Amino acid sequence: MLNNKRRPQPFLSQVWDLFWIEMTNWRWTWQYLIVVGTITPLLSMLAFSIFARDSGPEALQFIWSGNVLISLMFGLQSRLTSHFVYLRLEGMLNYFATLPIKKSALILAIILAFFLIALPSTLATIFVGAWILGLTITPSPILILVIPLCALPMAGIGALIGSRARNYNDAGATDLIVMFVMLAIGPVLVPPDVIPNFMLTLGRFSPATYAASALRAALNGTLTPTFWLDLGILALISAIIIAVVGRTLDWREA
Amino acid sequence: MPNPIFELTNLGKQYPKANDWALKNVDLTIPQGEIFGLLGENGAGKSTLVKQLVGLLKPTEGTVLFCGQNIVNNQSQVALNIGYMPQKATSLNVMTVKESLYYTAHLRGLSRHDANLEVDRLLKLWQIEELKEKNNRKLSGGQQRLLRLAVAMAGRLPVLVLDEPTNDLDPMRRKLAWDNLRKLNKEEGTTIIFITHDALEAEKIIQRVGIMRDGRLTAVGNPKELKKQVDQSLRLDLFFEPSKPPTVPGSLAPVIDQDGHRRYMVAWDAIPEIMAQLNLDEIDDLRLNSASLEDLYLHYTVEESAGGDHHAE
Repeated sequence: MLNNKRRPQPFLSQVWDLFWIEMTNWRWTWQYLIVVGTITPLLSMLAFSIFARDSGPEALQFIWSGNVLISLMFGLQSRLTSHFVYLRLEGMLNYFATLPIKKSALILAIILAFFLIALPSTLATIFVGAWILGLTITPSPILILVIPLCALPMAGIGALIGSRARNYNDAGATDLIVMFVMLAIGPVLVPPDVIPNFMLTLGRFSPATYAASALRAALNGTLTPTFWLDLGILALISAIIIAVVGRTLDWREA
Repeated sequence: MPNPIFELTNLGKQYPKANDWALKNVDLTIPQGEIFGLLGENGAGKSTLVKQLVGLLKPTEGTVLFCGQNIVNNQSQVALNIGYMPQKATSLNVMTVKESLYYTAHLRGLSRHDANLEVDRLLKLWQIEELKEKNNRKLSGGQQRLLRLAVAMAGRLPVLVLDEPTNDLDPMRRKLAWDNLRKLNKEEGTTIIFITHDALEAEKIIQRVGIMRDGRLTAVGNPKELKKQVDQSLRLDLFFEPSKPPTVPGSLAPVIDQDGHRRYMVAWDAIPEIMAQLNLDEIDDLRLNSASLEDLYLHYTVEESAGGDHHAE
């Protein structure tokens, strides 16, 4: 006697349940987020502020935006990298694969949950970091749009690394390399005038460049066409990366 | 024969980059409402087979039909009807026991209200009520196994596929597991397919058994019939004081001769005469058994592959 009358839950209901399943991860990750996602970027800002205080407000804004991205990279990208590896290698993905759910609902729920888990440390970095650096930041509704759009590409990159890496070591190493490359090649942590041209060119392919630019614009309240273009590019990059994750994450073994 | 739930035809699996086949030429039909046990040594292909039944592994060749439809194109029906318990009792994120059961039941299509009732039912059935708020990562191996059994059953699915359901369980909990599975099959008609190394205990509930070796299904059938084919003798075990072995009829030679324990293989019709000749004062205890599922398992997996006689122990 089969359950012919039973149907899978609607897509949004699936996302809701899976989101709460994934939110349980705060129970193991909150200590890490406090130390690595909040304290590390704040200490970094404190250190930078000591010798960059006289370099002018522009340099301080770069330090601030770069460290907000460091917080997102450690708090979101790295967490998602290791979570996707865990899902694949420890058999949790098999559990999900045998439930009547859509893979896209799972990916969406994981990213959403980890974003919310990382949000307090990101906000702490944004506001406490601005205070440490002596920058004036006015809480603006535009941040509600900017923060998720800066976070999504990092989340997608973390998910992509985690869904492809062979083991935890490979995942961790790849994640760190990608993180440092993204921080180094564009005007993320330091102003463009101290970065070689070829690196600036390469930086155009990095989502961190657009995220840092959008963060600085939101800080200054300069919502120019470039700001909206940055957000558009971030949305596009996010959509592409997450679509690739959906295609490459094989939750059934070959 | 009731409607087949699974029809496997020429099923084979070769893992990427592997030279050998993990599974080869498996033909098997499992009817609705059956308790089917899969026995075999480690690496025989049992887990590969059950993973293909639930669609976790793609067959390299052959087909798996679930209720007449190829499971490759029918994953949604498979997920709505089959509860699967993996061999490795991995943690379920950082969920509590209650959360694990609730979300599984709800995602399997129950309403939120029914999912809550299902949680209570399963906690009681598996006697884990006191663990309901406990993080599943902090459970012992046996508790984790009970939770995975409960998770597999969440949502009252008509088919259960269980990979070593009684591993890590103490004797009391093993009994609970077999009793619950038997009850589920009897009362709800649930089709149960499981892998086990616990052949002696599984024998109590298995209706049909499949024995695997080197990726092939070497024997399938009713345990009683298979045992008859393999061995019609009875096992007479005598336990005695090591210094005073009992006197037995001269034609009997022990197949096991240890300190204080001898086993004889005897024909059914010779039993009355042998029992009449035994001096019970010389014996501490005696047991008379037909071939067990374990004997069958050993015959098909160990002795036959070694080319030996399955009586030689």
